[in-house]
Amino acid sequence: MASFIQLVVSGLATGAIYALIAVGFTLIWQTSQTINFAQGEFVMLPAFFILAAMDLGAPFWLSAAIGIALSLLVLGALFKLIVVDPVLKHGVLPLVISTIALSLFLKEGVKDFYSSQAQPFPALVPATDIRVLEAVISTQSLVVLAVAIATVLALHFLLNGTRLGRSMQATAQNPVLASILGIPVRRMVLYTFLLNAALVAIASILITPIYLAKFTNGETLGVAAFLAAIIGGFNQVRGAILGGIILGILDNLSAHYLSSQYRGAFPLLILIAVILLRPQGLLGRIEERTI
Amino acid sequence: MSAVLEVSDLRKTFGGITAVDGVSFEVQAGEILGIIGPNGSGKTTLFNCILGQLHPSGGEVRIDGSLSTDMRPCDLNRLGVSRTFQLLQVFPRLSVRDNLILAGQEHRGSMLSRLFGRGDAGLGEAADRMIEFFRLSHLAQQQAGALSYGQQKLLDAAMAFMAGPRLVLLDEPAGGVNLTMLGHLRERLAAYHAERKATFVVIEHQMEFVMALCTRVLVLAQGRIIAEGAPQEVRANPIVVEAYLGR
Amino acid sequence: MRRLGAGAVAIGVIAAVALPFLLKSFGIYLISMWAVLTIAAIGLNLTLGYAGQISLAQGAFVGIGAYCVALLTPEGFPYALAFVGAGLLCFAIGWLLGYPALRVQHHYLAFVTLAFTTLVFLLLRNEEWLTNGIYGINAIPRPTFFGWSTASALYFYFFCLGALIAISLAVWWMLRSPWGRAFVALRENPIRALSLGVDTRRYTLMAFAIGSSLGGLSGALYAPLVQFIEPSSFALGLSFNLLMMVIVGGSGFFFGPFVGALVAVLLPEWMRIAQGYYLILYASIVMLLMAFCPSGVIGLMGRAFNALSARRDRAATVLHGERVGA
Repeated sequence: MASFIQLVVSGLATGAIYALIAVGFTLIWQTSQTINFAQGEFVMLPAFFILAAMDLGAPFWLSAAIGIALSLLVLGALFKLIVVDPVLKHGVLPLVISTIALSLFLKEGVKDFYSSQAQPFPALVPATDIRVLEAVISTQSLVVLAVAIATVLALHFLLNGTRLGRSMQATAQNPVLASILGIPVRRMVLYTFLLNAALVAIASILITPIYLAKFTNGETLGVAAFLAAIIGGFNQVRGAILGGIILGILDNLSAHYLSSQYRGAFPLLILIAVILLRPQGLLGRIEERTI
Repeated sequence: MSAVLEVSDLRKTFGGITAVDGVSFEVQAGEILGIIGPNGSGKTTLFNCILGQLHPSGGEVRIDGSLSTDMRPCDLNRLGVSRTFQLLQVFPRLSVRDNLILAGQEHRGSMLSRLFGRGDAGLGEAADRMIEFFRLSHLAQQQAGALSYGQQKLLDAAMAFMAGPRLVLLDEPAGGVNLTMLGHLRERLAAYHAERKATFVVIEHQMEFVMALCTRVLVLAQGRIIAEGAPQEVRANPIVVEAYLGR
Repeated sequence: MRRLGAGAVAIGVIAAVALPFLLKSFGIYLISMWAVLTIAAIGLNLTLGYAGQISLAQGAFVGIGAYCVALLTPEGFPYALAFVGAGLLCFAIGWLLGYPALRVQHHYLAFVTLAFTTLVFLLLRNEEWLTNGIYGINAIPRPTFFGWSTASALYFYFFCLGALIAISLAVWWMLRSPWGRAFVALRENPIRALSLGVDTRRYTLMAFAIGSSLGGLSGALYAPLVQFIEPSSFALGLSFNLLMMVIVGGSGFFFGPFVGALVAVLLPEWMRIAQGYYLILYASIVMLLMAFCPSGVIGLMGRAFNALSARRDRAATVLHGERVGA
């Protein structure tokens, strides 16, 4: 029982991180019809920005700030302006292909220009354990959980409690109507990309201490993002959060109780099952065939 | 004998907006029913619900007595229902002739037999006759995208007729067509109707077109039928006049 | 344009037949690889270029085909049977995979095929009793037909070339039939196609299943070509590579895969100097293409041709003083 609680808690922690990644993914899809196949690499990359800054001598907290700033610039603004905008006018399919190419580009880029070896990455707090009801829970998990929950709450407040956030949501749901209402649609779309960049940067800081910084991290994280978004229902931000948490817990439990050789298979089987049985996810609506 | 098309209490809501609000009507074989109404009265949404493009929020559609709500458009087409579109939808990079063959080929044999049969699915002559019927012979090999707007409208109608449908739904066939072409189009539609005894349902804005072509007219406003009857009666109906002109 | 195209094809065929006599064995190996990969790319082109669906599983199907042949032929199975079996198996798997995935929108097939490829890799790697796991299978024999052995590099190349030509003709036949018209309709305007009775779902599924079976056939040739296979050759990397081949060549064009496979096979050779940065270069080329010319090399050639002929027409106008063309 104790180990079960441990698994659930650490599962919640990883699940919260998946949720952040999945929310960003869903937001970008909603606002600009961009299926970002490079989302996993987007989470992999900020850690390397931070490591590079630390290599140059900056302390961790400064490097983290630099990493987040670089993410906003590169994964937010540059991604939108250089990769998405020129391609979007040709349709959704070329854009998906572009992001597939981008994921390869980022992965190989890190491998060739930084390192192909896994690098250790500093955690936010030193790893100590505390005992709760005979279960041993690491402070790291708790801190991750706390930061992730705080981020999700902040996100929720931003999107629903501020004018800016509501404008972004309006743009996501109906860009034409939004622009008629005077909302600067292009700027809102840019903000969504910046928001995603911030979310993946935070996710990167939280998850890299556990996975170590490796150029292949994007593969598993990307699948987690897609899966969480699909489980929750592709067109729902709340669904992405729910999907991420469910995935994190299931993933952790499966790692413990199932064969380690097929570790990576479990999320994939869930993906295939969801698409087979309930393609609209848990919270999504069945989409209309449009005219 | 059951009606060719029977719509019962059809409703369609999008979020908070009710586009179609309990519409019921029947179309008998051989009729040409016109559906008119001001912009936003729900005419195209009604069509899309009948044709399987949208899921109705309520109500039923029956073709020849059997339930057809929620059938996919391709299955409806194989039942003998076809349509034209308000926004032009020919295949620009195929030739006129190929567009027509495409329009009929799915009704010839099975998918597998079409793979091993003739390249034109045996429709070459039928396509040529259709091209002649619509007087597009000089354009047969041209890419459909190179035709003028009016000619594409004719092609659109021709495509709808290729499979010999019993029920044709025409969505604003006269929209944007110049006067000379308009007369030709209306005359061809009437000729097809006379020859094949097909049943038409036509959404239109242009009154003269409707008056000249249709045997019966429905008036839609705000998702509901507000008037019904012979073209002349409906035109004179004060409720209808008010719906168009507002208060 | 037609005559230019036909001329180019004729030159290509002549080159394909004559080239091996001018090359050493590594060169022959490269063009054999080109032929084999082109078959897989033709399959992916059907799925992507004609039916508009992204498949990230083509590499896995190549792997399934390869392991099919590698496991059966040493046991005495006739190669031809294993070859056909690979194709049929991949067709069936493609159908099963595509059936649920294509009922929904949003490019779910991309995700399903992504998951499938990783699953196949895990199976190939873990089930050592069957596949020998990471140690791979070696000494895969090259087939012998009616006493004619394909063991030599030259003969095996002609075997691959023959397969490529046969498969190309079959695909050409399919695209000239009413199916080809249905694929165009499906790609250009699926809504309109549906309203004309084209069962878009069925045709898309067919394109994906046939495309996957071609991946299997490609794998069936790949195994005896390289004669040693192991699971990591068929992971996501190969699927990405094939996808980019189709894109760079020009998706939706019949000869796109031929060009794309050529670029893919030659690029690492050209990039020997750059030492494996070729993947980054490849990815950059794809991103640039998507922004400026999504129709790939063939599309670029088409555009260049149109630009040149437009200029020639304008020049002719100046010379003759009358309107040329409409």
